[in-house]
Amino acid sequence: MEQRFKSISQKRRFWQFPWGYKESFLISFGILISGFIIEYISDGKGISLPGWPINLIFILFFIVYFVFVYKYVKHPIVKWFSSTQAAISSISVLTFLILLMGFIPQENQNVMPFIRKIGLSHVTGSMPYFLCSFYLLVILGFTIVRRFLPFTIKNFAFFLNHAGLWIVVVAASLGSADLWRLNMQLVENKTNFVAYDTQRNPFKMPFALKLLNFSIEEYPPNIALMDNKSGSLKIKKGDKLIDVIKDTITRIENWEIVIDKYIESAIKDSAGYNTSSHVGAVPAVYLIAKNIQTKKIKDGWVTCGSFLMTPEFLMLNDEYSVAMTIPRPKKFSSEIRVFNSIEDFTDIVIEVNKPVKVCGWNIYQSGYNEKMGKWSNMSIVELVRDPWLPVVYTGIFMMLAGAVYLVWMGRWERQKLMRLKL
Amino acid sequence: MTWLNYPFFVFLTSGLWIAGLLILLFSKTSKFRIVSDILLICGVLSLLYFTVALWINLERPTFRTLAETRLWYAIFISVIGIILFYRWKLIWMLGYCLFMSILFIFINYLNPDTFDKTLMPALQSPWFIPHVIVYIIGYAFLAVSSLIGIKGLYLLSKSKSVEKTIKLADNIVYIGFSFLTFGLLFGALWAKEAWGHYWTWDPKETWSFLTWMVYLLFIHFRISKKKNIRSSLWILAIAFVVLLICWFGINYLPSTQTSVHIYS
Ligand code: HEM
Repeated sequence: MEQRFKSISQKRRFWQFPWGYKESFLISFGILISGFIIEYISDGKGISLPGWPINLIFILFFIVYFVFVYKYVKHPIVKWFSSTQAAISSISVLTFLILLMGFIPQENQNVMPFIRKIGLSHVTGSMPYFLCSFYLLVILGFTIVRRFLPFTIKNFAFFLNHAGLWIVVVAASLGSADLWRLNMQLVENKTNFVAYDTQRNPFKMPFALKLLNFSIEEYPPNIALMDNKSGSLKIKKGDKLIDVIKDTITRIENWEIVIDKYIESAIKDSAGYNTSSHVGAVPAVYLIAKNIQTKKIKDGWVTCGSFLMTPEFLMLNDEYSVAMTIPRPKKFSSEIRVFNSIEDFTDIVIEVNKPVKVCGWNIYQSGYNEKMGKWSNMSIVELVRDPWLPVVYTGIFMMLAGAVYLVWMGRWERQKLMRLKL
Repeated sequence: MTWLNYPFFVFLTSGLWIAGLLILLFSKTSKFRIVSDILLICGVLSLLYFTVALWINLERPTFRTLAETRLWYAIFISVIGIILFYRWKLIWMLGYCLFMSILFIFINYLNPDTFDKTLMPALQSPWFIPHVIVYIIGYAFLAVSSLIGIKGLYLLSKSKSVEKTIKLADNIVYIGFSFLTFGLLFGALWAKEAWGHYWTWDPKETWSFLTWMVYLLFIHFRISKKKNIRSSLWILAIAFVVLLICWFGINYLPSTQTSVHIYS
């Protein structure tokens, strides 16, 4: 009550300093709406950020600007820029915008034209997103400078959290303009040094790559019951498929199925399936299925087929057959020879999740000829160069350290308070 | 050491933890604190011993199969629970962490090392375990903070003092929010290492970022001078809705057609 009384007696007029929530929120939503309008006028083209060295100049300019304005401009608006009200308003609009993005499918061709025009079909590349995050970064920047000058140890955690975030966002977004992401297609025993970006523009790389060998390791196949009419596997969620292991006996429905033979890689000839490492060979099992009720026995080969061979099923009755699932890749990897010059080369192996760094480029295993599967002699690698990475990582580790601090210190002193009675 | 020895360790560890928890719950004085501490730590050590011995026996790191992965989940979650308990005396949180741990080791007990075959290549990464663990813990704290928030709203409606309740919520949010931050950042580091980009705004990522932002709002609203307790409590309640969408609701949103985070 008392507080209410006070605020009435010294009522501040709208837009009179110091600004509070009302002004802050008006400004933030004004910025959001301007963003929509600009995007609409520019016909939903979005915005692209400048690359090297303009991005670095921008960053340095802003850091100097924050410090200079904070030190020498004594206007209440400077104080407002580092106020919690401004911070909350800026976090709110950005949250609001991303909330819209959370409900509207992104990069989808079938959205309403209006939605596309104001940028909501490509939020993270749009003007409103850019303006709102810029606004947030300016407020965050002023906040950091205010708490950082003069520096005290007490503010260290604050600095880690806020400056870390500022660095991560600025370096990751401005740095994205300097990010190179190219694709190169490699064929076994051929050397290539031309890579393409997503628009299919060719680039000559400072090194050449030769694919020595591409290989896929597969999980063993499984067998399962298949509905004859629909051709779909008869499994419920959570059911286990049957692993193919020789001599195991499994019961499905009324059938007892014995895996009598298992050949990891086989080719069919007149006598049945025989071991072979021929291209297009398939895993094959010989099954003996016995109906528990009728004692009827069915047996035969079952395979999953490959691009060369048709799959084979064991028909149990009119309703069901036994089928084999196509083995899933466990890992795929490429052995590559990297040439810096004709005589100067090194051999590397890349696989999913395990890129290798060469001359400042990270080489990722990205794809292969999926039709050929195991016999693909083609491998697609992605070449990524990201000069801003160390900066972003610095920010990330600052934030991690800041988070550890928050877990340990909490907001309030550790007290009996924490003995919670829920 | 092989998986054949595993059942022994399952029961040893669970037994030690349950005994430790019971002592904590029912001893009125702190005289037995040291006993429960020892029991809890021995529980972790027993599990750690099995995992390391298995590693030595297999002559390779035990990070390959899902069953091995679960062992590490169990170890890390219990360690974090014990550390947080040591610091914040949150006995229910200790209970939750140990329960999750026991759950993981029992899943292994019931399905000894069979499910290992389904880990897709993209998930075979050392980031996988920390990424999931910090989310499990972060979500738990934030869920609890919302319960506290609801309790606060109830107290307000009865015109009772909420001072202590909201301060408790503050602390819990700080802890939960930090774990969420770990989760986001580990995810970003992992994505960068594995695929070359930090963040793709995949629906799950969008929603976990939203969750993070709403709790960020709460934190700053609580620092601001013109705070209003009722609004703070409402922010907490709304934040929980966003969290739930992120957790469960994702699969039903129109914006979700393709996502690496959804396995059906
Ligand atoms: C990683 C994200 C963030 C974390 C963990 C975080 C955490 C905190 C904490 C714990 C405080 C209280 C510090 C203290 O009183 O010593 C604080 C204050 C503050 N934060 Fe943040 N914050 C984050 C992001 C932001 C952002 C994005 C903004 C602005 C857009 C912001 C603006 C502020 C402001 C203005 C204050 C008040 C500072 C003061 O009054 O001295 N923070 N933040």
